[in-house]
Amino acid sequence: MGLRSYIVARVLLMIPMIFLLLSIVFLIIRVMPGDPVLLHFERKASEEAMAELRHVLGLDKPLYVQYFEYLAGLLRGDLGRSMAPGHHSISQQIFSAFPATLELALFSTLISVGVGILLGVRASQSYNSLQDHSIRAFGIVVYAIPIFFLGMIFQLIFAINLHWLPANGRFPPFLAEPGGLILYLSKPAGGFAQVFMWSLPAGFVSWVICSVALKRKRVKFWLRGFLISLLVLLAGWIVYAYLAWHFMCLGVLHISTGLLTIDSLIEGSPLKFVESLRYLFLPSLTLGLVLSGVFIRLTRSNMLETLRLDFVTAAKARGLKETAVVYGYAFRNSFLPVLTMMGLQFAILLGGAILTEKTFSWPGLGSYLVDRITFRDYTAIQGAVILFGILVAIVNLMVDILYAYLDPRIRL
Amino acid sequence: MTIIGLVIVLSMIIMMVLGPWVSPYDPTKSNVSPPPNPSPPNADFPLGTNLLGQDMLSRVLCGGTIMLQVALLSVLFCFIIGVPVGLLASYAGGIIDKIFTLVMDSFYAFPGLVLAIAIAAMMGRGVVNMALSIAVVYVPSYYRIVRSQVLTIKELPYTEAARATGARGRTILLRYILPNVIPSIVVVATVNFADAILTAAGLTFVGLGVGIDIPDWGWDLTKGRELLPSGAWWVITFPGIMIVLLALGFTLIGEGLSELLNPRLEQ
Amino acid sequence: MKSFKDSREGVSTTTIVGAIILIVIIAVAALYALELPPFTRPPFEGIIMGTTDSVESAIDPAQAYDFFGWEIIQNTGCTLVEVEPGSSATAEDYTPALATEWTTSTDLKTWTFTLREGILFDDGTEFNATHVKYSFDRNMGIASPDGPQLNMEYDAIIGNVEVVSKYVVKFNLKIPFGPFLGLMACQASSIVNPEYAGGVKTDWSTDDIVEYTEGDARASSPMDLGPYKLTKWERVGGKDHEIGLEANPNYWNKGAGLPKTEKIIIKFYADATALRLAIEGGEIDVAFRHITPTDIEDLKDDPNLKVWEGTGAAIQYMIFQEDDVGTLPSLKDPRARRAITAALNRSEVTETVFLGQSSPLYSMIPTGMLGHTEAFATLGDANYTLTRSLLAELGYNETNKLEVELWYETSGHYPSSPDQAALYKEQFEASGVMSVTLKSADWPHYRTNRNEGVMHVFIYGWYPDYIDPDNYAFLYYASWLNHHYSKYNATNNYIAMKAAYDAARASTDEAERTSLYAELEDYAVEDCPLVPIWQGAAWAVTKPNIKGVYLDITQTWRIWLLYEE
Repeated sequence: MGLRSYIVARVLLMIPMIFLLLSIVFLIIRVMPGDPVLLHFERKASEEAMAELRHVLGLDKPLYVQYFEYLAGLLRGDLGRSMAPGHHSISQQIFSAFPATLELALFSTLISVGVGILLGVRASQSYNSLQDHSIRAFGIVVYAIPIFFLGMIFQLIFAINLHWLPANGRFPPFLAEPGGLILYLSKPAGGFAQVFMWSLPAGFVSWVICSVALKRKRVKFWLRGFLISLLVLLAGWIVYAYLAWHFMCLGVLHISTGLLTIDSLIEGSPLKFVESLRYLFLPSLTLGLVLSGVFIRLTRSNMLETLRLDFVTAAKARGLKETAVVYGYAFRNSFLPVLTMMGLQFAILLGGAILTEKTFSWPGLGSYLVDRITFRDYTAIQGAVILFGILVAIVNLMVDILYAYLDPRIRL
Repeated sequence: MTIIGLVIVLSMIIMMVLGPWVSPYDPTKSNVSPPPNPSPPNADFPLGTNLLGQDMLSRVLCGGTIMLQVALLSVLFCFIIGVPVGLLASYAGGIIDKIFTLVMDSFYAFPGLVLAIAIAAMMGRGVVNMALSIAVVYVPSYYRIVRSQVLTIKELPYTEAARATGARGRTILLRYILPNVIPSIVVVATVNFADAILTAAGLTFVGLGVGIDIPDWGWDLTKGRELLPSGAWWVITFPGIMIVLLALGFTLIGEGLSELLNPRLEQ
Repeated sequence: MKSFKDSREGVSTTTIVGAIILIVIIAVAALYALELPPFTRPPFEGIIMGTTDSVESAIDPAQAYDFFGWEIIQNTGCTLVEVEPGSSATAEDYTPALATEWTTSTDLKTWTFTLREGILFDDGTEFNATHVKYSFDRNMGIASPDGPQLNMEYDAIIGNVEVVSKYVVKFNLKIPFGPFLGLMACQASSIVNPEYAGGVKTDWSTDDIVEYTEGDARASSPMDLGPYKLTKWERVGGKDHEIGLEANPNYWNKGAGLPKTEKIIIKFYADATALRLAIEGGEIDVAFRHITPTDIEDLKDDPNLKVWEGTGAAIQYMIFQEDDVGTLPSLKDPRARRAITAALNRSEVTETVFLGQSSPLYSMIPTGMLGHTEAFATLGDANYTLTRSLLAELGYNETNKLEVELWYETSGHYPSSPDQAALYKEQFEASGVMSVTLKSADWPHYRTNRNEGVMHVFIYGWYPDYIDPDNYAFLYYASWLNHHYSKYNATNNYIAMKAAYDAARASTDEAERTSLYAELEDYAVEDCPLVPIWQGAAWAVTKPNIKGVYLDITQTWRIWLLYEE
């Protein structure tokens, strides 16, 4: 079967699955006991008022009409209206909260895969040693720790005791406005010169280290080293000065994608990039570590299997270095299962994100879901749950397609 | 590994069963230690007390029952629903098999905690509802395992032989397939247990747990979080360690069993 | 000639690349740590506040009934009169705001205000009497089942608003109402800007409520004339994320140097622990509403922070349902209610759960307010002998215990409800003749249960709308509590209570009102339709250089008085 037909088949398969999911979520809300509309009035509401609210939310129509409107709305991207006062559009609310969760999910995956691979490879290289066993134990134990527990411990250590990282939130509020130093330095002439001055010592230091690193032994070689490091210094100087100057003239972080790390890079502001990373680090670390166990185990077992194979022995016989063998050959073969696992873990990741977001006051979809539950906003809960389901389905689809692309055998 | 896991789990169960008799104080009695509370671990209260002055040792001894109940119930639900459906649907094959697989697959990939939260929110609090919401997420795993085993065994020679000699489907299922499926199910069940415990803790954290009058590790964990920045580390730590140990115990059993069943390539 | 690669003599590409990356990382980290450009963090010229509250619905006086919505309304809008900061809101403490003078007729049914001249709205229009009429007509016209119009009783009190001349407005009331100034000072009586409130019209409906508009703070609220302008209102996922306030150049009192701080940012945190971590970490300058009692005690010892304690006006009380609830024993007999009341141990609750930061309350009118009494002290605390003897009269004893279902809410709407409930249960059961089952519900269900009258005994709370005992004493028989006290006590004490209440609100004589409220509470102690339990204080934690924090009886934050030293 060609790749194209596989993709088509997979997409077609996904449709009934999503459809089923939507229908089930739709039904759950409708069949649960009690009248949800009743919960959203301050006083004992009159029949007219309740009927009015039902009408606004579209709950007064017969079930099958509601169902079709619900599906039609989904195709348009409309998830209905919230039951909370104001009856705002759920899609808009979800859209504003989604990038935060996406950023958290991406970085957590990065950390969990990174930690998993690093530790998995170490474990496989020292098979059956104490290191191997402790790494495996770490992987198992860390999954059993409740996420909010671990998160709290990190907050306590890094935020309260060491003051290295912030404890909550996503971005510092005071970076929203230019003022003081920024305004002063944003005057083009003075600003650039100041920055140029500051970059000089930085450049000098980097030149010194460069020339030491190049281990000069002969005069000619020394000369070459000097020229290389001079070029590095110059290039760094210019880049640094431009970035700093560019930053000075900008105030509010302009949010384009919603992923603050990407936005600050687009804007060219190193400060905002670093700040958004600082806020992102602890939540991602918490979520990433808890989920890393799976990747550790996976990498380890795959490496163990691959390292035993003949072609690896052959490579070693040809004199290739240990590192080259490990990362060059063996690792590439572990890559595919890791990729698949990333997709499978995505569902668990989203679940864990909910707890992480509550612990760190991270304003994402997880916080949204928890808030809506506190207010018994059923239409919003329905919308959020559906979005989670669709996200997972899409990610699984992408992983399957990528897998099929890389490994033709499974297309059969 | 299995042994370690079994030891942990069994000792915790014993602790929970004996808890009410062994604990020095009534875990719901407040101010057994006079205010100000929470007070740190000392001679009278080895694990300290929480904000209401309740003895943490007693709460730790008696607090696992809710989680265990939720986990047991969810495993029970899964068994009752997942195994028979898996056996029947995959043995029957054809369109029935395809439909059920589709349904199960659409649930399988779903984020467990999300669904659990949604169901618990709609249906209200309580042990049964929590167990139900976890079970809904886990049934597909059972289904999958059962199905893969059934498909394999269905094609084996001795099954064909049994069919050739006129054995009825039900006999084949019960005598040939089920016994071979059980070990894999047990492995899934242990993972289910561990996850159910963590999900129950998660549900309590977002406010969907049981009320305050029942001692519960999840509750202590949630309330203890508020006390931690003030330095009262003992309220969250001990229940937290208990939860980790319990989940760990079940995971180890599962890991050990699955290693026994699928021995790895040894050097 | 040898290639460059060969001449490197064994230094691999990896090493060089690694070295360069390392250099870059070290340089970046060093610049960041030393706060050199481009990592200089700009100082923020203003005050950053943090809270766990949020605007529940809209910043519109015709809709908002939540604390934080009123908070923003007060700081971006203005009323006719204001309460002097730090005062106890007695009749002398009302100061001119949009009105400069006022008089009232002797029957307290006509109130005339002379307005301040020369105040401009956003768009340059001058404020005059028509705007006052407009605001109140709009408020009363937006008939919403949820609106403050019902809760504030505007329609029961105000007959009509008359524009006498350009700067004189007259309120013709339906009943004589002594506390009218208090009503005029509360946030729901703020004046709105017609341009943003829906324009001039006569047929008002709930569709005219000004809702949050993404990205446009001006269109999200009809407020104007206040010390601040709402310049930023950002919601993420339907929940408040950041609110930005900037000084209003048209503010009538800017001559006094107000607002003291030009720019304010309010950040919202998910829970009290997050807020505590934020103020401790120096992320915000002011933390208010709510910090847990444990955190407050702990932060008192922090040399880098200052803890402010203020007058409280929030009360917590317990309500008895007099209608039959399922098969539970009826609480129609006042002896049953008095018995349960006597078993309460208020100080145990305030010491254990609130670490002494709340105080026991023996009257529905809080301490510090006119009319406060110690009426319920006659029933005592943990007075088990009284409980037992009263219940014995009704046939309850050790073998035949009075079954009680005690409800508490779990969404954090009231502070520490579950902890309180656990203690109440113990206290009641310690009498030996009661058996208590705890039940709980999240706030929406709790509210619905209240409306349906299905909770046997439940905990409830109250924040004042305006500062007057009138706004507290009515709770004993408030119909929306649905405890049906008036239904089963249509004669006797209820009538007397109501008479005392109506007389008190028709008078401005302090001595007369004090004795009337004392009388009212005596009846209340005999019947115990509800029981006051404790009164909370107001708390805030700020950096030491923040000044101008007034935590007075109004419970509101006058952000325009805050400044940094």
